[in-house]
Amino acid sequence: MASEALRNQVAAKWQDSFNRLNRGSQGISGLMDFSKAWAVAADFLRPRDLGAPPKDFNTHEVRGAFDVLMQCRMLPMLLESFVEDMRRNQHLITNDVMRFMAEYEVPTDSKKASGEADVIGRLVLLLADWYFAWAPGGELGHTISSAYIVNFQTHIFSVLPSTFAGGFKKLLAATLSLFTRGTTPEIPASVQDPKLWPSFELLGLADRYESLIASVCYEHIEVHVLETCTGKWDEPMLGQLREWMADKVVPWMLLPYARGAKTPEEARTMLQGVGSRFDFHVCKTLCDLRTKEMFDIVIDYPDSIPSLHDLKECLQRVDQRSQLVQTLRKANKKRLLHPGADTKDILTQYVSLIRCLRIIDPPGVLLFKVADPIRRYLRDRPDTIRCIVASLVVDGESGDSLVDQDEPIQPLQTAQVDDYTDPNWEPEPIDAGPDFRVNKPSDVVSTLVSIYDSKDLFVKELQVLLAQRLLAVTDGNYEKERRNLEILKIRFGEAPLQVCEVMLKDMTDSKRIDQHVQFQSSSVMHPTIISRHFWPQFQAAKILLPGQLHEIQESYAREFTTFKPDKKLRWLSHLGSIRLEIQLQDRTISADVPPLEAAFIELFSEKDVWTVGDLVARVGPVERPAALKALLAWVNRGVLREESDGADVQRFRLLESASTDAEAAPVRMATTGSRATLVEEQPTVLTVQQQQAGQMEVYWKFIEGMLMNLGGLPLDRIQTMLKFAPGYDRTVDQLGGFMDAARREGLVNVKDGIWRLNR
Amino acid sequence: MEQITTSLAARNTTTKSTVSGSGGEAVGSVTKRLTNELMTLMMSSSPGISAFPKSDANLFEWIGTIEGPAGTYYGGMSFKIAIHFPPNYPYVPPVIKFESPCFHPNVDIASGAICLDILQDKWSAVYSVQTILLSLQSLLGEPNNASPLNTDASNLWESPELFKAQLVKYYRPIIDESAA
Repeated sequence: MASEALRNQVAAKWQDSFNRLNRGSQGISGLMDFSKAWAVAADFLRPRDLGAPPKDFNTHEVRGAFDVLMQCRMLPMLLESFVEDMRRNQHLITNDVMRFMAEYEVPTDSKKASGEADVIGRLVLLLADWYFAWAPGGELGHTISSAYIVNFQTHIFSVLPSTFAGGFKKLLAATLSLFTRGTTPEIPASVQDPKLWPSFELLGLADRYESLIASVCYEHIEVHVLETCTGKWDEPMLGQLREWMADKVVPWMLLPYARGAKTPEEARTMLQGVGSRFDFHVCKTLCDLRTKEMFDIVIDYPDSIPSLHDLKECLQRVDQRSQLVQTLRKANKKRLLHPGADTKDILTQYVSLIRCLRIIDPPGVLLFKVADPIRRYLRDRPDTIRCIVASLVVDGESGDSLVDQDEPIQPLQTAQVDDYTDPNWEPEPIDAGPDFRVNKPSDVVSTLVSIYDSKDLFVKELQVLLAQRLLAVTDGNYEKERRNLEILKIRFGEAPLQVCEVMLKDMTDSKRIDQHVQFQSSSVMHPTIISRHFWPQFQAAKILLPGQLHEIQESYAREFTTFKPDKKLRWLSHLGSIRLEIQLQDRTISADVPPLEAAFIELFSEKDVWTVGDLVARVGPVERPAALKALLAWVNRGVLREESDGADVQRFRLLESASTDAEAAPVRMATTGSRATLVEEQPTVLTVQQQQAGQMEVYWKFIEGMLMNLGGLPLDRIQTMLKFAPGYDRTVDQLGGFMDAARREGLVNVKDGIWRLNR
Repeated sequence: MEQITTSLAARNTTTKSTVSGSGGEAVGSVTKRLTNELMTLMMSSSPGISAFPKSDANLFEWIGTIEGPAGTYYGGMSFKIAIHFPPNYPYVPPVIKFESPCFHPNVDIASGAICLDILQDKWSAVYSVQTILLSLQSLLGEPNNASPLNTDASNLWESPELFKAQLVKYYRPIIDESAA
């Protein structure tokens, strides 16, 4: 029913097509040529199974066929049919892929990563073979080859199962370790095949799995850094790592990242971006590792200095300062600031920390943040000052001093106020906290002393320590103490140590006075004469020396008074030591003993048997355990024997002849040991803590003043107002205890947390 | 940002004190002087006088207590005073006034202002809080009737009965208003 017009139109189309195919040849010979050419070209392009014998094509003939098709403008049709052919033959490739992936996925324990990589490697190479087998040849023009690539890749990606990505990653890792570890027999041949990387490129795997390539490299870097650097703090690692990157990893990186680079320069520019990304990763990994290890690095200082320099460089590249602070604070809290740690250890660690963080961060911002909890903790420890002071007084022999011996001795530095006229003034670092104090790289001692707000506490503790040491000197050689004092004077200044100076002078004066007194009338006694005003308070344990001991004291005192008429000796009889020679019936015993023991044995010259109570009554206020200890010391020497008559009364008998105690002595020996431990060695000089009680009187005046004028106040207000009192350093808890004591004395009352004066 | 503002603030105070004419470290030295005076006052334990800074944040505002000397009209009474130290103290006397109403020839009953020569033209830098408080205490017993601020009081001074009546009328004992 077609109309005329339609019929005409179809006829015109037909004629047109015919003319196109026949190209004006005679009859239908053009058409015949065309169909022949089509057959040749289609056969040439047809995708074949790899196993099939390759067909021999006459290139000339093929080219001629394509020319014919081009003239007929039938190349698009040919392309379509080629794509269709590919689609029909896809199952060949799919089969191969399935076969390899099945092999890859077989769950066998014995199969190692290298084996898996091998499977994938072979698969990739095989796919490349397919690619080449089906490729239509470059001479056919860009359109056809790009259409081929797109179709081929699309197909491959569509059939590769999701597990391929994992396998591909293993393959990449295997190639990378080939570069970094060198050739080993474990690495299968497929991985070493030079065609492998071009194959990736051909199949479009390099682009598709670009992130996978990067992550393989990252992981490899991480493993390498952890392997080589963990626990290795005594040599700089960053340089070595960078060398390793340049020597081993960069050649590998050339493969994925510098594809198609023709000259080394070109490759270098292509690698620049990726290279700095990987360098960053090296730094970050090392930084993470060192941050984690920081606490132990600090312990190992100064052996760990190279690792600190590494960390400093890494931190400049990777901004992880806050992580470092947090990790270190956490580690300190967990490992350092607990009751189990010795104050001395905490101080040592703190000092190392100061030195370590000064290397990493010279302005001291990190140090300020990390040190703050340590300083606060140390402030609460009762023996911190004593430890610091003890380490200040260099012993010479003991090498575990906190202070570096080589460090020049400097005066203490106090926090400086910003000097705005300083032309070299620099602003605070940007990450400094609001209460950050710029402390110029000061010496360790200044930092330690600045834990406390005033150095008076240190001076007092120094005084106590010096007193103990001076009294312990027996050979009259005070050179060491003098030297210490001179050093301390440089640190603390002359004025605060004036008292110590007097103490030292007392010692030499004593010697001089003693020489004079001895010259007047020779005495077996050589007292140390100290100025009560300048010395710390002593334990009040006034014992009276009996008998001849007392006489010696008296005669010495007389001689002294004639020498210095305006002065009077007040004996501290419980200090010092006495050399005795005891003559018994059958033997003579000589011993160096403390005064209490001497006093007791002197009493035994009056009668042979004494009870402890009677002895104590004669000697003075001595605690029973101390008295027992002194007596047992004589028992040990075989001079006394303990007798117990069943009652509570303990008697001691003087053994005039040694034979009678032969059987008793060993028995006593055993028990003595246990008893002696009951008595703790009492320090002769009052500690600073005991002296502090006196200071509280001053603060009470302030509390009284504020409560009088301001009315009732809560405890925390009192605490803050007490900052007006010089040197006030108590905690709120201490203040609370003190206020409670005042309440018990009826000085104040408290209601609803408000303290008021009682009027 | 914070740092910028704080440093600016610091500079402001310096310039201000320079303007007031007492050198760059004026505030620091005044604080030191006041701290010392507080210490001396606390340790002196003079009977019947006492003073303390109002808050720990400001050392320039104090509150004092003066007990009336026994044997005067004011015996057994105590008065609160407010002390304000100028930034250039001690070159300038502190400003002192009674907080508790005090019926006295040299004290303004309404404002609490005090007429005392050492607090005005006779001021000298050697005086201290302690000396001021002692002067005030003695002023209670020995007023300067020649320059009265409160003429009623100066007129009544010679007639004890009437004076005492007025004094008790105005006097309010210090109640602990509990500075919470």
